[in-house]
Amino acid sequence: MTEIRRPFPIGRRGMVLLLLLLAGAASGVALELSPRQLAPHAGGLEIARRFFEAALSPALSYESTPPSGSTPLPMKALDAARRTVVFAAAGMSLAVVLGILLAFPASSAWWEGDLGRRWRVAPLLWGGTRTLIALMRSVHELLWAVLFLAALGLNTFAAVIALAIPYAGTLAKVFSEMIDEAARDSAHALRATGASPAQVFFFGLLPRALPDMAAYAFYRFECAVRSSAILGFFGYETLGFFLRQSFENLHYREVWTYLYTLFALVAILDVWSGRLRGRFAP
Amino acid sequence: MSEIDRLGRTRPRNRLLRWTAAALAVLSVYAWISGEIQVGALFESRRKENLLRFLRQEVVPPQVREEGIASLGRWAVPILSERGWTGAGRTLAISTLAIVLAGLAAILLSMSGARTLMAPEAFLPHARRPGPMRRFAWGAVVFATRGVQLFLRSIPEYVWAYLFLAMLGPSAWPAVLALAIHNAGILGKLTSETVENLEPGPLRALRELGARRLTIAGAAVFPVALPRFLLYFFYRFETCVREATVLGMLGIVSLGYWIADARARRFYDEMLLLVLLGAGIVLLGDLVSALARRFVRRA
Repeated sequence: MTEIRRPFPIGRRGMVLLLLLLAGAASGVALELSPRQLAPHAGGLEIARRFFEAALSPALSYESTPPSGSTPLPMKALDAARRTVVFAAAGMSLAVVLGILLAFPASSAWWEGDLGRRWRVAPLLWGGTRTLIALMRSVHELLWAVLFLAALGLNTFAAVIALAIPYAGTLAKVFSEMIDEAARDSAHALRATGASPAQVFFFGLLPRALPDMAAYAFYRFECAVRSSAILGFFGYETLGFFLRQSFENLHYREVWTYLYTLFALVAILDVWSGRLRGRFAP
Repeated sequence: MSEIDRLGRTRPRNRLLRWTAAALAVLSVYAWISGEIQVGALFESRRKENLLRFLRQEVVPPQVREEGIASLGRWAVPILSERGWTGAGRTLAISTLAIVLAGLAAILLSMSGARTLMAPEAFLPHARRPGPMRRFAWGAVVFATRGVQLFLRSIPEYVWAYLFLAMLGPSAWPAVLALAIHNAGILGKLTSETVENLEPGPLRALRELGARRLTIAGAAVFPVALPRFLLYFFYRFETCVREATVLGMLGIVSLGYWIADARARRFYDEMLLLVLLGAGIVLLGDLVSALARRFVRRA
């Protein structure tokens, strides 16, 4: 009778889990963390209590007396939300164009394998674009913003570009993978009639991947709204700017007004993109 | 009328998609003409001078300006050994610990947030219809868990970090907790959906053999869902590395702290070096995650 047993006391997955736990523990040691530091200092619990209590009653007017003639708080929050969407939309409109342009050299479907046509530059172009995309993605949008702040000073167009660079990189990466995985039937048909690689790409491959790409781009727009809100921490007047201000002034009820505005924005986009994806699914 | 015209006319059209496309087009145009984005101002002469000064002088270390490119190493090594390597190491440690904590929390949140597992008679399709009280109680568990997940992920990690900094004072905990809490919400949602989409057959078989809910969760749901869990886990780990760098700019000693510090001292050459180091560890994180995901997929 053969006995079925594992080669090692724990399986491959168990090993992964164990390794992860060890990595977590080692990180804690490396950071010199102790659970004792988790006990809030004397005023800490009070801060947390006040912060979460304020969630139940977000401010509808300023918590301190504002200078006369300033806009009422709800209007200010709505205007900040508008500006947040404007930054996100401007950044995304750049990122989508750039992403599609980069997705062409970053995809391998049109020169490799069954659609292939010998063109020796293509792999070089592919590798170069992939590296460029990785570099664009590897610097966080806030770090791009900080770099541009240093190079150009506070300028909203620079903020939009800072947002657009990593987003274009991510879009190009995902777009090119969607194109590579798209159904190839129409591309083969075009190829058989003698179409050039560029024609095969734009009329055979791209249209088949377009629904997925549109849904993904919309999801990234939702992410861009969050990022644009956070950009406010660096002096651009989006939701994050006022959020930080109110937090530093200990006006927690105002913080929640801005947070709820952000939640509402993201929730609208979330429901919208969910319905859009539902329509796309076969 | 040719066949192709007829096909073209009868193709399925999607009104929501069209309206979305139109709305986004209008929004993009509005964004550029609203006056919020100062396109022209970027090209003003002062900006050009700023940029030229930045590129020619500020990002070029003084030694390199005087002694040529060969002295780049002599300039970079002390910065990297004094701040760079420890900053990068701490950033990786913060993101690793945060994502492990988030993963542990997500295992609990995934089970109690799954409608299938938290049904009154889970995986017993032919059971008697349970009473209204039991249905309400189990429904409340799912509703509460989903609510907690939503709450955790809706608050940006930066706000969590601010709050914990104010509560706990300076250590690495605020960054770790902020990332862990935010990602526990995201991972909890993704993993709950994974559990709900599991093939119900084996789970039903186990239930009909008399296994209890906890047994099913531990002996069948968790092992079967684990590969998916790990894919999400590593995907969020990549994001964690990116965010951990930036969180440092709020005053937690990771790489971002030294970037903000160099910026405040107007040592832009040093700032650029540290930003590039940050890009390096992000790429390292992506690589580790890609390798780990391939390993899990093969297992």
